[in-house]
Amino acid sequence: MSALGTALVFWPAAILMLVWGLYVFRTASMARAGLLLLGALGLEGLLFLALASQFLGVLMILMMSGEMIIMVFFMVMFMSDPGGLMGMDMTHDKRRSAALAAAIGIGLAVLAVATDWPGAVVSPDAPDVQAIGYEVMGRSMFSFLFAGVTILFAMVGGVLLAKEGGRLGLAEPGDGTSRRDERT
Amino acid sequence: MISLPVVLVVAGLMFAIGLYGVLGQTNAIMVIMGVELMLGAAMLNVVGFVAYAHPDAASGAFLVLITMTLMAVEAAVGFALVVAAFRHSRTAEIDDLTELEG
Repeated sequence: MSALGTALVFWPAAILMLVWGLYVFRTASMARAGLLLLGALGLEGLLFLALASQFLGVLMILMMSGEMIIMVFFMVMFMSDPGGLMGMDMTHDKRRSAALAAAIGIGLAVLAVATDWPGAVVSPDAPDVQAIGYEVMGRSMFSFLFAGVTILFAMVGGVLLAKEGGRLGLAEPGDGTSRRDERT
Repeated sequence: MISLPVVLVVAGLMFAIGLYGVLGQTNAIMVIMGVELMLGAAMLNVVGFVAYAHPDAASGAFLVLITMTLMAVEAAVGFALVVAAFRHSRTAEIDDLTELEG
């Protein structure tokens, strides 16, 4: 992608991503918040594409589409006011959190601008799919396997955590695990 | 045109928005959403560095892959914790979850 093409994709996507990201925490509707987050992270995938990381860009869009749709379901299930129709305020320490976040954002922006970073122009030689494949199946294979096992553990742990009664199952009177047994 | 500091500024602002969500929201799911944005900002940083500073570094792209894995794992375990907390306390509001009792 040319420098002009990169700029034409990058600026609108970056601005929209930040605005949608902010609106995630400003909207009262939880379904809308989930879809805004999906949009923001999808636009981040577009930024990856603009920065010549095609593989990561497409992967980001695909992964976030699935993850955020699941998140919308969870939000609708567990929010006290999923539609945002009752006008409930689900925030705390609004001013202090906004002030701290603004201070850190400005600090990071100043640091990014003030530092003398190497490189000036986006390179079209970003690692392509083949190079990432060689990396994954070569030097970083152990880390990749570890990531796979971590996902497996997360799936098993997640199911056990979410199961009714936890990993030990429901307590039966007399089996030594219920609170009534502890008292007696 | 775009340069590395521009990408880093965008990532820094995105990180700050995520932090605002983590600190300011009372619902556990919204806090998870804030963490997702913060991890997204970290990934944007890495992609920026790969594109501008080390274009031939496939290990940078691999780090983004690992961070995506981390995002998925964090969301899965976070949702499971929310389900467990909801079963116990009938709420996902973190202000109400003040006890570790099972």
